[in-house]
Amino acid sequence: MLSASNTHKTNEIAVSVRNLGLTYTTAIDRRPTLKARAKALGRGSKQTRVIRALDQVNLDVEYGQVLGVIGTNGAGKSSLMRVIAGILPPTQGRVEVYGSVSTLLALGVGFNPSMSGRDNVYLGGLAAGMSRDEIDSHFEEIADFSELEDAIDAPMRTYSSGMFARLAFSVAATVRPDILIVDEALSTGDAKFKEKSLNRIKELRSDDRALILVSHAMATLRDVCNDVAWLHKGKLIQRGEPNKTIDAYQEFLQVGKSAAIDEDV
Amino acid sequence: MSNPLQVYEPFRAGLPPLGRYWKSLWSRRTFVAEYSRSELREQHFDSVFGQMWLVLNPLLLSGVYFFLIIIISGSSDKTRYAHLTAALFLFYLVANSLTGGVKSVTAGQRLILNTAFPRIMLPLSAVVIAIFKFLPTMAVFLVMRTILGLPFDVEMLWAIPVLLIAILLALGLAIAISCVNVYFRDIASFLPYLTRTLLYLSPILYEAVDLKPKLKTIELFNPLFPLLDSWSRALVHGQVPLMSNLLISLAWAVGIFIIGTYFFLSREREFAVRL
Repeated sequence: MLSASNTHKTNEIAVSVRNLGLTYTTAIDRRPTLKARAKALGRGSKQTRVIRALDQVNLDVEYGQVLGVIGTNGAGKSSLMRVIAGILPPTQGRVEVYGSVSTLLALGVGFNPSMSGRDNVYLGGLAAGMSRDEIDSHFEEIADFSELEDAIDAPMRTYSSGMFARLAFSVAATVRPDILIVDEALSTGDAKFKEKSLNRIKELRSDDRALILVSHAMATLRDVCNDVAWLHKGKLIQRGEPNKTIDAYQEFLQVGKSAAIDEDV
Repeated sequence: MSNPLQVYEPFRAGLPPLGRYWKSLWSRRTFVAEYSRSELREQHFDSVFGQMWLVLNPLLLSGVYFFLIIIISGSSDKTRYAHLTAALFLFYLVANSLTGGVKSVTAGQRLILNTAFPRIMLPLSAVVIAIFKFLPTMAVFLVMRTILGLPFDVEMLWAIPVLLIAILLALGLAIAISCVNVYFRDIASFLPYLTRTLLYLSPILYEAVDLKPKLKTIELFNPLFPLLDSWSRALVHGQVPLMSNLLISLAWAVGIFIIGTYFFLSREREFAVRL
């Protein structure tokens, strides 16, 4: 189901996000334990906190579009991607997706570090709903593109972070979904692989595909995107022409605040 | 404009739509098979020595416990040894499901954060792995039983429904504990004590009929008690298990499975933010 199933016309809606809100409760501890909970009983200290990740976000992505998503850390970029990929259910609003989404985000593969890269690619693909045959037909290309060679059969715990990212990107970019989400994967790997992956992204730009790139590499986004959305503290601040939006964002980063953001904090 | 392929909306507390969930789970059954296979391969159970260890480990254990029984009670016989081994093997099916299941969700963090799939696949795979580890021990038991010279009866076939109940129970326990471990990560460290306690409270080192009347109440709180008794009656003694024991263990298994699954399914949508 991940590979492009039907053809889409340019300007047809790929993803429609309406009044999206995402609030969730998470543990303060990275590793919540029964022991910590028992200790905290008498003191009444809080074990969880509520995070407001997205607030009233409206966003349409059309086929043929390459949308860059920018924002500071904690702006809600990854949360938005996870909602579009169906990993996190929204708290408010509605998200409609008209096509197959590559849910293989930056770190999708490699969930079991003691297994080989090959096993992880297969397991990641199967979990995402692909069939064995589908993965078989893509595997050569994935292995080639990642340039891992023999290391593809070594346990993933022996991989460097660059190798990890290379494999992850290769999977995401080889399986050709209608809607491809690439989360921060562009800025990893060495210069040579970075260029290679950038070229692949450019190749993937086509009229019947929608690309969403989450990145901090502004120069890259200016180069490949034809639309940029700027998120800040869960809100969509600006959306539009890449250079304009990125300029505004960079100005905001330097000034530290902007009237548009201060309005209703 | 065509209809959306996927719509994501806020969910109310409780279960996700079960029909769609099942469909999505069924379409990913190859994941469970592939995951168990690569996990077993990674633990070297595809090699001769790996397989040997799989059989040797419970066999050595049953040997150790057999000595313990001889020393404590002063006497023993071959039926006793067959009972001990058979019961121990089935117990390890449940115990391995628990130890494999407890970390299945937390260890699948990367996958959960980046892929949408029915999370229940993870504890399910842990139980499938435990079953694959259990199967060769059954072969060993049947060989051993023959060597010990115990007669084979048709009633032994009652072991099959007992095994199915045991698998359902193991599944329910694995699903429940994998979910609890998301919220309390130290459950995994308590688990060895829990399984050890269960081991001694179950009719493994002793037979159910030998239990002192004073201690009969422990039967009521241990789901494994009626199960292991039925197992031993069928497989070792070649008798029809007590209907009441079969029904009680079935009730335990179904109850734990339903409660565990409900708990898991109503929570799994927030796993991604809890990991």
